[in-house]
This record gives sequence, C-alpha cells and structure tokens, in this order.
Amino acid sequence: MRTYIAHRLGIAVLTLLGMSVVIFFLMRLAPGDIVDILFAAAGYVNEGDKQLIMRELGIDQPIWVQYVEWLKDIASGDLGKSYRYDQPAWDVIRPLIPVTVELAILATVISVLIGVPTGVISAVRQDTMLDYVLRVFSLAGLSMPAFWLGMVIILALVSWAGWIPPLTYVSPREDFKIHLVQFLLPALAVGYRSSALLMRITRSAVLEVMREDYIRTARAKGQGERLVIWRHAFKNAVLPIVTVIGIEFAFLIGGLVVTETVFNLPGVARFLVQAILWRDYPIVQNLVMFIAVVVILSNLVVDLLYGWLDPRVRYAD
Amino acid sequence: MPRLLLSASLVLVAGMLAVLAADTPAVGQAPKSGGVLNIMQREDLAQGFSIHETATISTVWPSMPCFNNLVLFDPAKPIESMDTIVPELAEKWSWQDNHRNLVLFLRKGVKWHDGQPFTAKDVKYTFDTLREAKDAPAKLRINPRKDWYANVTNIEAPDPHTVIFHLKRPQPSLLMMFASGYSPVYPAHIPATEFRTRCVGTGPFKLKEWRKGEFIEYVKNPDYWAKGRPYLDGLRYVVIPERGTRTAAIQAGRLDIAFPGETSKAAAEQLKAAVPKMVISEVGSNVNDNLIMNVKKPPFDNVKVRRAMSLAIDRRSYVKAVHQGGAVVGASMQPKPYGFWGLLEKDLNQLPGYGKAAEDKDKAKQLLAEAGFTPANPLKVEVKTRAIAIYVDFSSFVINELKQVGVEGTLTQIETAQWHPLVTRRDYQMGTNLTGLGVDDPDGNFYENFACGSPRNYTDYCDEQVMKMFDQQSQELDRKKRLALVAQIQKKLEEDAARPMMGWRLDYFARWPHVKGLVPHHNIYNYGRLQDVWMDK
Repeated sequence: MRTYIAHRLGIAVLTLLGMSVVIFFLMRLAPGDIVDILFAAAGYVNEGDKQLIMRELGIDQPIWVQYVEWLKDIASGDLGKSYRYDQPAWDVIRPLIPVTVELAILATVISVLIGVPTGVISAVRQDTMLDYVLRVFSLAGLSMPAFWLGMVIILALVSWAGWIPPLTYVSPREDFKIHLVQFLLPALAVGYRSSALLMRITRSAVLEVMREDYIRTARAKGQGERLVIWRHAFKNAVLPIVTVIGIEFAFLIGGLVVTETVFNLPGVARFLVQAILWRDYPIVQNLVMFIAVVVILSNLVVDLLYGWLDPRVRYAD
Repeated sequence: MPRLLLSASLVLVAGMLAVLAADTPAVGQAPKSGGVLNIMQREDLAQGFSIHETATISTVWPSMPCFNNLVLFDPAKPIESMDTIVPELAEKWSWQDNHRNLVLFLRKGVKWHDGQPFTAKDVKYTFDTLREAKDAPAKLRINPRKDWYANVTNIEAPDPHTVIFHLKRPQPSLLMMFASGYSPVYPAHIPATEFRTRCVGTGPFKLKEWRKGEFIEYVKNPDYWAKGRPYLDGLRYVVIPERGTRTAAIQAGRLDIAFPGETSKAAAEQLKAAVPKMVISEVGSNVNDNLIMNVKKPPFDNVKVRRAMSLAIDRRSYVKAVHQGGAVVGASMQPKPYGFWGLLEKDLNQLPGYGKAAEDKDKAKQLLAEAGFTPANPLKVEVKTRAIAIYVDFSSFVINELKQVGVEGTLTQIETAQWHPLVTRRDYQMGTNLTGLGVDDPDGNFYENFACGSPRNYTDYCDEQVMKMFDQQSQELDRKKRLALVAQIQKKLEEDAARPMMGWRLDYFARWPHVKGLVPHHNIYNYGRLQDVWMDK
C-alpha cells in the first residue's frame, strides 16, 4: 500500500510538472497581458510606459526564462505576486480555498444524500411509476444548468420573499446560521444537478448487480429484501458510484464559476475567471495548479477507497 | 363636473406633495448619525485606490470617500459648473495676473488618516506628479489625465497653507478639473504606488478593509475637518460582478444604493415595479456612445465618406432602439439640461444625423456616390467593437442603419483587453466606442479626445484650425463668449464627423428612500464623497 501511494505521488509530481508547462504557456498564448488591461482601465496606451511596466513585472523576459523563474519560486515556496493586486499571490488565494472546498463538499454531500437512495429505489422499483418519477426528476437535474437554477432561486426569493442570502462571505465563526443559509442554497442548486448524474449511475450499477446469481442465492436463502439490497447489491455496486463522486467533487472545485458568481461567493472558480480576464498570470497559474492537486488527490483517495470497499482489490507493496 | 374637477385637483396636489415628501426631509428633520451604508460595486478595484492611475468609475466611486480634493462640485446640486464649485482642502482661491496664476488658500488643521498634517507640500507633490514636471518627486505608472495640467508651468508652495499654480496662459477651467472626482490630493509622505493596495487620505471615511473580490469597507473618520461629518458610521461597497444578482440585491434591500451609470431605463422600470417606494433619479451620466473612424486610412480619410456615415445613422432611433429611451441626443458636449455646454435643439437639428432621417439618408447616399460608392460598388466596412452586450447592440444598430444607405458592414467583436491596444495601433476601420468624461468642461473633453496627437484621439482627427479654436475657448474668460465658441467647435466636429456622437447615456440612479442627503449628479464620476449622506432608519 505504501509503495503504491508513493508511486502514485511520484506520478502526481510528474503530472503537475506537465500541467505547469501547459498552463504557463497556454495562458501566454491568449492575446494581451496585464499591462494591456491596466491601460484599458486608463483608457489609453502609452508604449514607453508599457515597456517600463512590463520590465517592472518581469514579463519582458523570454517566456522560458519566466517559466524557469516561476518553477524556482514554487520550489522555494514562493507563489509570486498578483499583478492586479500587487500583493503576494498566497495572500490573495488563501481566503478563497475554504469557500470553494466547503461549497464543493456540501454540494457533494447533498448529491450523495439525494442521488444514491433515489438511484437504489429506482433500480429496485424498476419500470414502476416511482421509477419513472425518479428518472424524470434526475433528467430535470441533468437538463437544468446549475447556474440557471441558482439564478431562478435568487429571483424567486427576491420576488416572493423580498430576501436574498447575504452577499459577502460570513464565516461560521461569525454567524453559523447565516453561514449555513449562505452555502445551503448554492449547494442545493449544484447538488441537485450532481445528484441527477449520481442517481443514474447508481441505478445502472445496482440494476446490473441485481441480476447476479449471488443476489438470487441470497433471496433463496431467505434473506430480507432490505438486507439483500443494501448488504449485497449496493456494496457490490458502490465502486462506480464512488468513482463518479470523486470525479464530480474534483470537477466542482474548478467548475463552480457561475454558481459562485450568481450567489456572489468569493471562491476559487469565480476568482480564477477574473484572473484570466485580467491576465493575472501568478494567480491563474497557482489556482490551476491547486485545482490539479485536488483532482490528483481525489483520484488517489477514490483509488484507495476501492481497496477498503472491495476486499478483492489489493495494492502491491 | 366642477366637483369632479376639484377632486381631481386635490388628488393631483396630494400626489405631488407625496412625491416631494419621498425625497426631501420633512420640515425640521435633522440628519441622523449612524449606520453603515451598503453600496453596489460592479467589479473589484482595478488598481486599488489609485484614482490617478485609472480612468474608470469602478475606481473613483469606491475611492472618493477616502480623499478630498482642493475643491469639489457641490454634492447637493446635480448640475456641475463653475457656479457649483465649493471649497474642500482649499478654503478660498483667487485668480491673479489675468487668470494666469491661481492662488489657493488651504484649510488649516487637516490631518491625513495616519495623523500627519496636510500642507501645501502635498498639493505641490500631487500636481507636480500629475503634470510630470521635470523635477516631479514621483512618477505614476499610468497617467491618464496628464493633459489636464498641460497648461501649468510651475507650482509654488510659499507657505504650508498657500499654493500657487502658474499657467502658460489663462485657463479658467482649471478649477473644474480640480473639482472632479478624478482629482484627489495625495499625501507627499506616502509613495503613490501604495495606493494600489491601501488608501490614506484626508477624506470623511478611513479604509477599514479591502477584501479582494468581496468588499471595500470604510469607517467614519473621527478627525474629519468638517465638523459633524460624516453622518454615517461606515460604508461597505459590495462587489457583485453578476448583473442579475446586483439587481436582486438592491431589490431585496441588501444594498441601499446602486452603482452610478449602472441602471438603465428598462432596469429602473422593473425595479420600480417590484419596489414602488424605490427612489429613482433620472440624471445625465456624462458618458456618450460614439463612432470612431480611422481618419488616416481610406475611405475615412475622405470627409465626405465620414459625413455620409454620420448622416446615415438616425440618432433619435438610436436612443429608442439601443437605450429604450434612456439616452439623449447631443453633440460632443453633454446636452442641456444635464450639461452646461450642450447645443440647443435648433442647432442640433442642423447637424448630420440629427435631422429628418429619410432626408439625411438621401444626403448620405449622394455623398457616397460622389466618393465613388454606388450600389454596383458598395462601400464595405468592418465595424469593430468590444465583446460586451451593450456595444454589440450599438454596433448592430449602426450596421443596420448603414445598410439602408448601401454600405455593407460586418461586425468583429474584440475582447476588452485588446480594445485599447487595437485602437491605439489604429488597427481598425470603424469602431463603436464609449467615452466617459470626468468633468463637464470643454477642456476636459476636446484636448483628450480631439486634439492632434492626443493618445485618446483614436481617430487621429487633426485640424489646426480646430486646435486654435480649442485654445481660444480655453482662454476665454467671458462665459457667454466661451459658450458661443464651444458651440462652433461642436458643430465643426460633427460636420467633419471627427467622432460622431450617437447619444448621451442617462442614468437612473436607484436608492432606498431611507437614504438621505445623496443627490446624484449629471456626471457619474463626481458625487461619491458621501460625507453628507445619512440614513433615516
């Protein structure tokens, strides 16, 4: 197991190195840079001043020199300085991470709480009215973009209740109730969509397992239906469900742009888009690397979970 | 019938009284102290609080409470002119030597937020830096309004509370520049670069916290030089990039006031329908939509072709179609009653594009034919614009109007980051543009946007005769004569189609009725000080 983890972490480092090349050079392919944006905010461009600013920010250097400098800084723990905010990138990024991670966790929990039981019920009650209702429910979730649902929630609240959640982040320590309300609504909007996918995967996986011989054997031995479903069927169907949960969680970390924008939550995704529009390379690079780390780690956790969930899966030492 | 008439009259009078009561303090109502005002902020600060390094309302609006100017436009009066300038850091001023020297007597006992005393040295530092004097103590990374002070030759600070601006020639409008929200005084003891991350001013509010991408928060300055001000305990500018969420926020009362220039006529009507007690003030914004044509490249090096383009576009239809009536037609200065210098209706009607649409379009076709463009050989233009909905609507309207005179237009959308580099390189044929003017004064507009060689003269229009007229009006001390000169210039600019104006945007500034003492101006850039604002709740 330890060797397996070490091996995976080693691959992760190589993956991140590859990612760093991609993100570094890809960003610089987009036309314009931070200096263009700064001048855009001033309504004109002065070429002489532009060169001075580029020199000040170090972006007049050849790209490969900038890349090497960046790698050196990362290796020494220096994430660089935000071009836009003129502050250490870590100071800018740090407050964003807990917001997005919390929203992603909440949304995942909601999607699991809705998606998994409805998927099991739908599989067990296949081709009944309940099955059809649940499938329509899940199709609706897949069809409705989370950001649209978020906007509808906001508009419904303001139209019917004359109220919307607070628009600046309230930490749980400041006021837990308001914090919960602030996160519950966007988590529901995102979680519903994720639950729809999870429901369909669960249904499909459970249906496949329900056809196995050992399920028939368990019933023949007189085991109660609930036991058959949860102890035998669900346990054997759980691997693909866990895979999808892992993928969805990783996706959410970087994919919550519009939800964070609609609910005005100061998270990673919303900030990343702003940083891209501003060509704030240090922020973009660091945030994308963070998302990459989360994806790699969540895949690793899912793979390790396989070993715990399915005793037949063993990783060589 | 007489009884009915009487009832109707009573209802009408009662209605008028109710409208008046909604926005004016009750007789004897004194301002109340306390409370934190929640203010809409459309996007995060571009370069922190560094007003001098940007030219966007997104910086001026949330930064103004931190600073003071030498003088300011009276917060209580919507129209801005020389008559509405009131003292701030300068208590009194005097023109000398036939308006070649401006002596300002500074307020005593004013402190910066860090406790350091404000003196004449700070004023000299600020304006020497802005005009990029040879011995300037600092250099701004970006200096968009250097030209405002091009006429200043020297600044003296003979004692800690006196400053003298020496000018090359008379320029009465210099005070107007000082009064703009774009002209705060910086402290000499703090490097200008620090304003990109924090704010130290002499203003009514001190910066408490800037949480990036979330909010900017101020607290009352207890040592403010205007006794009894500010009334509010604090301000909170809440950054909300999503338009729908902004509207929902003010509707739900999460925000007390809107963002200047943000609320269109249609949005205001929806807001008013949802919240009937919301106070909506229709004001000018001093922001115009205009057409830029590259004067250095064919076919727009031919004034006949440019004039044809201007004739082809019906301004009044533009106002209806693109702004749903939430704009007004005008030439290069904001029209009355919102601006001081705008042309009168009768003069506007004589200009290309402002007359009868059908007749103007016929004239356009004629001019195009004279220039060699016929149905068999149509003029083809590429219209470039920023990839933002309002610009795309504007451009689509223009292309449609041009089509009616036989011009084939195609639209190319440009990402915002690329727009200014593109127009600076003159890499365009025709473009649709927006220009916001920090002050309603010809000097603040003509030199920036129409003068030969100005970096923001995107069209490269250059007429030596017109330049002489700019200088002539700038030095004219008699207001009536200056008005006449400015009117002539505006007509000339429209006839030359230097930068045809499409319309001047109106703002429908929204605020909850408990917000008192806030009078939106006919210029979005200049009423953000908020020291007289209070809340009746």
